[in-house]
Amino acid sequence: MTLLPQRPSILALVFLSGVGLSAAATPTPVDFVREVRPILEKHCYDCHGPEKQKSGYRLDLKQIALHEGDNHAPNIVPGASTRSPLVRFITGAESKMMMPPVKSSVPKLTSTDLDTLKRWIDEGAVWPEGVDVAKTEDRMDWWAFKPLQQVAAADLPTTSETLDTFIQRALASKGLTQASLADRRTLIRRLSYDLAGLPPSSEELAAFLQDPDSDARAYERLVDRLLASPRYGERWARHWLDVVHYGETHGYDKDKPRNNAWPYRDYVIRAFNEDRPYARFAEEQIAGDVLFPGTRDGMEALGFIAAGPWDLIGHAEVPESKIDGKIARHLDRDDMVQNTLGTFMSLTVGCAQCHNHKFDPITQEDYYSLQAVFAALDRADKKYYTDPVLTRKRTELEYQQRQLSDRQKKLEKSLQDKAGPELATLDGKITEARKATKGNASPKFGYHSALAATRDEVKWVQVDLGRAVAVDRVVVAPCYDDFNGIGAGFGFPVRYRVEVSDDPAFAAGQVKAAVHRDAEDQPRPGTALQTLKLESAQGRYVRFTATRLAERKQDYMLALAELQVLDEQGNNLATGGTVTSRDVIEAPPRWARVNLIDGVAPGFEPGNESRLLADLEAQRKSLLAKHAKPEDLKELEVTREKVERINRELSAMPAPQVVYAGTVHYGSGTFTGTGPSGGKPRPIALLKRGDVKTPDKLMAPGGIAAFDALAGQFACANANDEGARRVALAQWITSRDNPLFWRSMVNRVWQYHFGRGLVDTPNDFGRMGGTPSHPELLDWLARAFRDDLQGSVKSLHKLIVMSRTYRQLSDAAPQVAERAATVDADNRLLWRQNRRKLEAEAVRDAILSVSGRLDLTMGGPSFQDFVIEKPEHSPHYQYHLHDPNDPRSHRRSIYRFIVRSQQQPFMTVLDCADPSMRVDRRNESLSPLQALAMLNNGLTVAMAEHFAKRLEQEASDPEQQMQRAMSLALGREATGEEVTALVAHAAQHGLANTCRLILNLNEFTFVD
Amino acid sequence: MKTPSMLSPRTLSRRDLLAASGQGFGLLALGSLLQSEVLQAAASGEGRAPMRAPRAKRVVQLFMAGAASHIDLFDYKPALIKHHGEPSDFGEAVEAFQNGLGPWKKPVWDFKAYGGSGKMLSEVVAPLGACVDDMAFVHNLVGKTGVHSQGTLLQATGFNLPGFPGMGSWVSYGLGSLSENLPSFVVLPDHRGFASNGPKNWDAAFLPSQHAGTIIYPGAEVPIADLYPHKAGSYVSAKSESAGQDLLTRLNRQHAALHGGDPRLDSRIRSYELAAKMQLAAPEALDISGEPERIKEMYGIQEHRKVWPTEINPAEEADCMGRKCLTARRLLERGVRFVQIWSGNDNGFPRRNWDSHEDVERDHGPLAWGMAKAVSALILDLKQRGLLEDTLILWTTEFGRMPSTQGGSGRDHNPYCFTNWLCGGGIQGGVTYGESDQWGYKPLDRDHPTQVYDIHATMLHLLGIDHERLTVRHNGIDRRLTDVHGHVVRELLT
Repeated sequence: MTLLPQRPSILALVFLSGVGLSAAATPTPVDFVREVRPILEKHCYDCHGPEKQKSGYRLDLKQIALHEGDNHAPNIVPGASTRSPLVRFITGAESKMMMPPVKSSVPKLTSTDLDTLKRWIDEGAVWPEGVDVAKTEDRMDWWAFKPLQQVAAADLPTTSETLDTFIQRALASKGLTQASLADRRTLIRRLSYDLAGLPPSSEELAAFLQDPDSDARAYERLVDRLLASPRYGERWARHWLDVVHYGETHGYDKDKPRNNAWPYRDYVIRAFNEDRPYARFAEEQIAGDVLFPGTRDGMEALGFIAAGPWDLIGHAEVPESKIDGKIARHLDRDDMVQNTLGTFMSLTVGCAQCHNHKFDPITQEDYYSLQAVFAALDRADKKYYTDPVLTRKRTELEYQQRQLSDRQKKLEKSLQDKAGPELATLDGKITEARKATKGNASPKFGYHSALAATRDEVKWVQVDLGRAVAVDRVVVAPCYDDFNGIGAGFGFPVRYRVEVSDDPAFAAGQVKAAVHRDAEDQPRPGTALQTLKLESAQGRYVRFTATRLAERKQDYMLALAELQVLDEQGNNLATGGTVTSRDVIEAPPRWARVNLIDGVAPGFEPGNESRLLADLEAQRKSLLAKHAKPEDLKELEVTREKVERINRELSAMPAPQVVYAGTVHYGSGTFTGTGPSGGKPRPIALLKRGDVKTPDKLMAPGGIAAFDALAGQFACANANDEGARRVALAQWITSRDNPLFWRSMVNRVWQYHFGRGLVDTPNDFGRMGGTPSHPELLDWLARAFRDDLQGSVKSLHKLIVMSRTYRQLSDAAPQVAERAATVDADNRLLWRQNRRKLEAEAVRDAILSVSGRLDLTMGGPSFQDFVIEKPEHSPHYQYHLHDPNDPRSHRRSIYRFIVRSQQQPFMTVLDCADPSMRVDRRNESLSPLQALAMLNNGLTVAMAEHFAKRLEQEASDPEQQMQRAMSLALGREATGEEVTALVAHAAQHGLANTCRLILNLNEFTFVD
Repeated sequence: MKTPSMLSPRTLSRRDLLAASGQGFGLLALGSLLQSEVLQAAASGEGRAPMRAPRAKRVVQLFMAGAASHIDLFDYKPALIKHHGEPSDFGEAVEAFQNGLGPWKKPVWDFKAYGGSGKMLSEVVAPLGACVDDMAFVHNLVGKTGVHSQGTLLQATGFNLPGFPGMGSWVSYGLGSLSENLPSFVVLPDHRGFASNGPKNWDAAFLPSQHAGTIIYPGAEVPIADLYPHKAGSYVSAKSESAGQDLLTRLNRQHAALHGGDPRLDSRIRSYELAAKMQLAAPEALDISGEPERIKEMYGIQEHRKVWPTEINPAEEADCMGRKCLTARRLLERGVRFVQIWSGNDNGFPRRNWDSHEDVERDHGPLAWGMAKAVSALILDLKQRGLLEDTLILWTTEFGRMPSTQGGSGRDHNPYCFTNWLCGGGIQGGVTYGESDQWGYKPLDRDHPTQVYDIHATMLHLLGIDHERLTVRHNGIDRRLTDVHGHVVRELLT
């Protein structure tokens, strides 16, 4: 035993020498096992021991006690008790961190205990090897993190028979056998709900029952037919939307609708129907825009990233600079990370936002590296075209538009800065003068040309004076129109000329006289009258030609309030003339050619300060010219022209499609997004204890470092390229060598076919999750899915539903059931199929289908089975105001508009997925409230009546009607006893009541 | 993997044990399924033994939506009176939601001492003075953010994001119902609309759906959704209803007999029987017409008044809050486990909630007086019936309001400090625990604030539940109402 600390510090030496001087004998060194550990056991282990490791710290393991912990490592500094965080905490030197906590029931340390611990640390914190009672576990030593295992007897064919052998072997080991094969009636009902989410129609039922082919071949054809049906994609997309927590409102406060979320829903349906290979399906949803540029799916799939809730107030009303804004954005990225890793890898990474994951090999660094992947994104509407060429064009134009507009603003700003306060004063005066300028005294504004796409389109308007006369001068009066905030001088050209001729066409050489103001841009005149003096002019026609037009709103036009042609005495020769023009918008009374010579113009009104305004504008121009370098003015001019050109091109494009997606957002106000800074990812710091107020080091994008079969750190060529980050994550996830990715999906598919996964925690394959009931089968399926089936989900379905395991009855022979009750009561080993309770959507769709009201229109905006009241703040979604007979709401449930805050009550009571939670498996409940909903909800009550009408149309006598009803609702014939009872009931209470009863049968809701 | 005995306060049933003998899958996930199968929420007494003797059996949670001002109602701050109008100085940089950091603003109403405890209350909540010796105040609650939605979720569910069960859902899940004829968790929303997040505040989330709060609008045409056939069903009569139920049960029994061993089939039959009972029990419970006049008067109810002023006013607020409180008492008497009463709707205008950015007097005045009138009646009424001793009442809100003024008459959000009070079963009356600083800006002892987790832990404790042991595994985490936090505040207990 060493007397001195192994790594002596000066402090410790001083302390020890002090002791040596004052004590008569050298004290016995503190013994860890005998003296220290009992103290730790008594006071610390409750929270930092085998059961709990608060802050990732435990005192029963040497390695962690001396070197680890989330926030203060090392907590023990050998030889320096005063510098050891542990001592500071137990002595109360940091009141916030008093240990044991003030409120805990664990007793405080006595002063003797404190002395012992301090002395032990100062002596070097000697902790002998091999005395730890606990052991650290290798967090990678867990089935889910191991590579996909190859079954010993390799090269098992990818067939349903192979699948069955895995199941049968496990059953045999418990002395169990499978149940008998189900009959055709049972199979078609089971398979129709499973693959299409709907009951078989009478025709489908009859066709299958009467198929003369062998059971096996007839069944296979049924499987193929259902997999090829568009109903299949609708059914399985709903499962996927559960997992990714898709919703069509934001959630939280101000739960506004997302009217452009549905294209993602349609994408998922399409992807399932087209049997998109699973890796590509995943890649499209994480980085489709980058990996598959210009494809519609690559855009719409990004709805995945935005599927979850969004805090409007935390984003749109609180800036990113405030703590509340930071929290909202942290939660938002957290949702993206958890959704991605939970969906595709069945991992619960969220735990690692405050501390290293307590059970799985996920560190806080890993977690924030994952957040960095999404650092540039927000949830917002994203524009796209189904034609990739157009999407590219629009993206480029919008990019240039943003760049040039930014440049224009910078140039203008710099000019203003150079011109200094003088300009500011002038601008103030101009604003005042504009306000002072009166508008139109009369509703007859003037002449208005057609709109032009470019400002350099030439426009003219002219007056026929009736005969050739001597003209002294021409006076033109500008218009006033508040459109687009323009006001005085609306439509008055920047360059123009006036000509006199006897030729109405003003052919070259026929012009008698002219005044040119078309060599350079003219100052804006406001509403001031413009007088153009002509030299020795005589002619019949006077023409005003604009050679550079005034801007209106991303377009250009010419407008004039009045054109006077005066002789020397000031007589207006234009009065009574005829106005013609190159083009015109006639919109009387405001805009009409005749208004040009009606003597009405704002400039004629007394008191208009238009002269002042014109002067001020002129002053402004010369002021800018004085301060600015000519090349800057030139650049500003060129930039303006370019922006105008791009605006014209954009407005000429067809309107884009829009999807609510994870995207670089170009916003304004509080919710700016990263667009204005070029889509540069936000810096992501590791947050100590998950608190935005305690940021630590900045994190680069990356995956989970411990998964060494995959490259943990992403190699992004350009760190600022946010798209590259998502591509790296997508490829990391979909790697052949990522066992979680492949196991996760086969397990989900298995679950939806059997009611329970091989691993019954589909969103958590970590240590808090389950273990596979059939590990070899799981890995064989995952390998087959990845390799032989090339990620084809439809092939995976077929592999499963063709198996004997799937096709067996859901009731076992009594002797098997009896044996199973003691060894496998909950049927994990599948000695029978599981009887399934229909999900909310299947119940609703079946009710509509049976009643003959189901509308199978696919895709497009969702139907709304509510009325929105008070939409301006937090919309009230009023389901009780909906008319259940409204045919627009008779589409399949996948097309229902999904509100987050106020979920649809009928669906919710039937355990519909909550769009705020990632639902890997629906709850299955039974309650009086559910019974009330099935009995009394508008849907059942209204549809029962339609069901009755249908029966009356399709069958004449009451017995036939009851047979038909049972066939539609339950897929079977009614027994004689049933028919008698139902017919009697219908006779007494009406067919609608009987139909309502049938929809409430257990057998309607459960599928064997 | 935890051992079954630690999993939940439930007594393990035979099926649980069978499940546990399986291959180590999520026991609790199955547990929750089983509960639904045996209709635990509806059938009283099935399988859930509390951990210790409970002090309370029932809960009323009063939620003031929009953030009620602690300073103007319950937390007396003489320093604000003294320094009223002086520029506010918090001694540190403060981030306020709408930057409402004007001068100090004294309480809008005068305070005076009430009861044997001498607790200072604002005159706008004077009716509560009669109950003050049964109430325990906590003045050092802290929240996490000043955003209504997150703050409301935090107080209602223990998490500041959606997707977690409401407190009532946890209690319903943990203790089941005291009556099979009524839902175990009832929500009485403000009749003018939902608060932030709407039903997400009382959602079952990952618990079985019957633990979601059942919304009841007393006095409405349809007080409970789907209690009666939708109006499209004019063909339904009382006679057809009863005959239909009989035939339904008969056919369902025949079907169940063919598929023995599936308890869900029997459970579903039973659920229809209970539904029929609920159809009878609910209207009786909600009918206040037979209550004596003096009781209605005590609650502030003007039963036959139809016309009210358009402006917000105290009498109308008392009437609508009084109806909810009286309904609550009737529901509690009939075995409802948890009643949540909301005062205040969403943040629309004109304000009908506690979010008084513009004018505390205008909004808080009528709301607070009406609340105090009705709630004091509830407390006194429960007390005179001997129900207060095992009924726990919690008054809460999403956060407090700033001691500085916003625009002269209003106050901005204060997530750094606010007040809760508790009353009834197991709560020591006349106690004040946890003070705020001299302004009511932050807790006096900033290192030891009270959090919602502590309040929730205390309430579960009084209901006989260890908050660390009422857990459900969801997406890989053993979720509980108190997340990973919470200490029972023993100073509040008798």
